[in-house]
This record gives sequence, structure tokens and C-alpha cells, in this order.
Amino acid sequence: MPPGIDSTTTGRRESSRIHDANSRRVLDVATRQRRLNKQLEALEKDNFQEDPLEHLDAPKKKRPKFGIPSDHEDDDTEQQTQPSKKKKRLRGDHFKQRFRKTFAAVLEEERVGLGNSELPNYFTASVPPSKFPARHFCSVCGFLSSYTCVSCGARYCSIKCLGTHQDTRCLKWTV
Amino acid sequence: MKNVVVLDNGACTLKICRSGETVVRTVPNSIFRSKTERRKSFVSSRIDSCKDFSSLFYVLPFQKGYLLNWDVQRQIWDFIFGKDVLNLKFNETSVIVTEPHFNFASIQESMNEIFFEEYEFNSIIRINASTLASHQYSHDNPEENCCLVVDSGYSFTHIVPYYKNRKIVEAVCRIDVGGKLITNHLKEVISYRQLQVMDETYVMNQVKEDACYISMSFNEEMATCKKKGKENTVLRDYVLPDYTQIKRGYIKPVEESKKPNPKSKTQEQTIRLTVERFTVPEILFHPSDVGISQMGLAEGILHSISKCPEKYRPHLLRNILLIGGNCLFPNFKERLEHDVRELAPDEQEIFIILPPDPTTYACQGGMTWSNSDGIKKHWLSQRDYQEGGQVTCAKYFPDI
Repeated sequence: MPPGIDSTTTGRRESSRIHDANSRRVLDVATRQRRLNKQLEALEKDNFQEDPLEHLDAPKKKRPKFGIPSDHEDDDTEQQTQPSKKKKRLRGDHFKQRFRKTFAAVLEEERVGLGNSELPNYFTASVPPSKFPARHFCSVCGFLSSYTCVSCGARYCSIKCLGTHQDTRCLKWTV
Repeated sequence: MKNVVVLDNGACTLKICRSGETVVRTVPNSIFRSKTERRKSFVSSRIDSCKDFSSLFYVLPFQKGYLLNWDVQRQIWDFIFGKDVLNLKFNETSVIVTEPHFNFASIQESMNEIFFEEYEFNSIIRINASTLASHQYSHDNPEENCCLVVDSGYSFTHIVPYYKNRKIVEAVCRIDVGGKLITNHLKEVISYRQLQVMDETYVMNQVKEDACYISMSFNEEMATCKKKGKENTVLRDYVLPDYTQIKRGYIKPVEESKKPNPKSKTQEQTIRLTVERFTVPEILFHPSDVGISQMGLAEGILHSISKCPEKYRPHLLRNILLIGGNCLFPNFKERLEHDVRELAPDEQEIFIILPPDPTTYACQGGMTWSNSDGIKKHWLSQRDYQEGGQVTCAKYFPDI
């Protein structure tokens, strides 16, 4: 039952446990898949922290400009120096622009290029799903698990781990 | 004889070997930024001069195993080819450079262009690392025609069957599990259960290399991990480096880890590893453990073999060659042998070869191959490139 319907029956006497169970949000299959994909994507990341040098360069570029004469002077000098800077960086920039592509863009290009061709390619090389059933591990402690969280589909092995799971991860943003 | 350089351009490390040298150099294929030394980037092996590896930031030229950030790669190549490391004379040097399987056309074109027009090498060969490994293998074992290369690297794992050093393209298989994913999973698990280490890629990679292993009897070791005290033979405490007193992390000797240290070194930060030690690298054999719907290694090998002509199959099973960094996990070969044995037909013989150094094997293969006569027709020279352009390249390197 969707949680919204409950509101009409609030006046009636009822078990609080059933009420709780009904009002608990349960994720559907699509959402669970999306969460899983997000987790798998996170496993491919190079870094989780921010680039330590990023902030050092940023303020220079985006310094706000106010109508103070000294600022305009600054502007002028910047304009004068710009052309020479450009020349210096030309080769690098050319590389960046011509060859810079994201993985998704390259994949898309490949997909279009292949058309209906049956030749072996990046997509066909991926091994198919296993014939064997997947094993399940407790998302909290890592031991084999027998139970599934009703709300989000994560696995757990004991009441204790379920408690930890609900306090920390269930229906929350996880990476 | 020409000057030949073999460049195994991996997503995590570069393996370089030049003619006349016997050792293969391994350097990181990455630019690093450290939290402590601001305003400074470390290109490739310059990272050796860095003292603090905590929260090291990686700028990698590869994404998902394919070369996409060319400006990063250029900086690294400039450094390696330049006077700091190799000091190459480009117009007198021929280079064998590796690329991943099913490399995309746009990447191949950029590569040709950079090697011929920017660096102006004398001649090049673009080839898969596993093919070089196959050349080395057939050189060492001339009586064998077939070879199945399992290349388990940083970004993914490829299973590639060869017949007379030609790859059977239809049967090439990819499992999207590599060293990076394993390290990231270990990081994630430790961060949730014990200590926030999401930023410590460098440190956790060392933890993985030091403490993780492939289990030979998974369920039994799972049970061992539940035991307490001395009976738990899997449990280890790992001392994390702090880069002031402890320069490198290490596994605490077993006797010390059971009882709290009386000479309380309070600064010492440890993580306790139990199931993580073998369930994390287990993803290689069961990608479904983390929800990747793909076959594991052993199953993938048989899947790949089933796509090969029937007459090659027994030979392929008898010549399985392991290369790539993940093969360095203890018990990797034994476990794979065990799993393939279970799945393969009873009457067939299985033999798996793990070279002494699986990471540089392909690079050595390139060097061996460059001394043979068979290589001559594969070199694409600067002059041919100038005449024929990208079209000639496509003809010369039809995914050899």
C-alpha cells in the first residue's frame, strides 16, 4: 500500500507495528538497480577527495571585479598578457580539445560506428552473467548473510547487523 | 641493429625496456598531487621524492582502461622519453607500444599522430600486451602452438586465446574487474566498518598488496574468521603509516596483535583485517559478490575456450599463461587451477603458468620478439606514415 493512503485511516485504532510497516518506504526494483549502479560507478573512481591544487588556481581566474579603477588597470594588463599566454599554451590546448573525450562519448562513437556489424567488438567481448547463483554477504560485517532488508534490498546476517544497517545506511545516501 | 624501446603502456604503471638492457623499468603512469606539498605535481617516478603519501591525489591518463586524457599522458611520456629517464633520440628509435584490446579508432589515430608527428619516432608497432606475452611464451616453449593469456590488470581482466601468436578475436573475453576496483572495494569496506580511508588510495593499495590473498577453501575460512583468539588464524592487525615515524604500513606480527601492547605506542593507528583479507580479491573469481553480473575468471576462461575451434581447446587448457598485477595475489594460480579443474572436462589436462614477474612479462616478450625475424614486416616507418597517413596505420596494425 502506498504510504499516502494511510492518512485517511489515522483516526482508527490499529496496531502501531502494522502502521510502521506500512509507512516504511520500500524501494522498487528500478531504484535498487540505480543504487547498485551508483555503487559500481564509485568503485571505478580514481580519487574520492578533491584535488588539493584545484583551489589554489581557482581564485585567480574568478576574482570578482568591482568598479574600482585599480581593478580596471589590472584588467588592461591582463588583456595585454593574454595573447602571449595563449601562444604558449596553444599546443596543449589543441591536444585537449581535439583528443579530449569522455569514456561515454567514445563508447557512443563506437556504437554508432559499428552499426549492425557482427564483428567482435568492445561490447561483445564482455563476458555474460555467471551460470551460478550469486552469493550474498552481510553488508555490515561481511559474513555470509541469509536475510534481505525489506526497504532497500541490502543483505544482513543478524538482528544486530540489521540495526547497524538501519542506523547508518538504509535509505541513505551511500557510496 | 636499430634502437628498440618496448613501452607497455598500462593504465597504472608503464613498463619500459630498451634494447641492450636486461631489466624492465616499472614507473607509475600517473601524475600525483600531495596534500602536504602544495603547488607541486609529481610526474610519474618523481613521486619517489615525496615524503608523505597520505591522501595522494591521482591524475591518470586512462579511464576504464582506455587512454583518454592525452595531456596527462603527454606530460608523462615527455618525462620518460626525455633526459631525466631514457634520453631518446627519436629519429633513431623504434618503439613497440601496447594498447588495450578493442582499442577505439579515435584513440588509435591520436596515438599514431603523437608518435609520428609530435615525437617523430623512426618506426612503431602498436600491439596488445597479451600478444607480446604470447610471443615470449612461444619463444620459451617452441613446441606449443596455442596459448591462452589471462591478463588481469588495473582496469579489467582479459582472456585472450592465441594460435601461433595470432589472437582468436571472436573468443577474446573481458571481465570488468581489475586492481583498481579491488582496492576501491577494500577502501569502501574498511571505511564503513572501521576507519575512514576513502582518500587513502595509495596506502590502501599497499594494504591490499601486503595483506590480501586468494582463499583456497572459501567457506571454511569464513568459519575460521568467526572464531575468537588464537583459533582465528586469518585475523591480522595492519599498522598504517603516519609518515613521520612509520614510513610504510606493515602487518603486525601475529603474537603482538593478540594482546594490547604494554609499551603503549598510542599514535600507532591500526586496522583489523579478517574476512576482508580474502573476500575482497575474491571478486576476481566471483564478480557477482559486489553485484557485477559477469562470470568469474575460471568460468570466463571456459567460456572463451568454448568459442574457439574445437581442435585448439585441449591445447589452450594446457597452456594458460597468467600476466598482470593481480596474479601476484598469493594462491592466485593454485585457486584458478582448482576452479578450472572443476569446470573443465575430466579427461583434459590443465596446466597454468605463472611467470616469475607477471607484470613485466609482456614487456620482456616485446624485447624478445624485436630480436626475431618475424617482426620485420610489422614495423611501420615514419616514411610510410608520411605517405599513407592514418589509412596505412589501420592496414599495418589490424589489431595484430
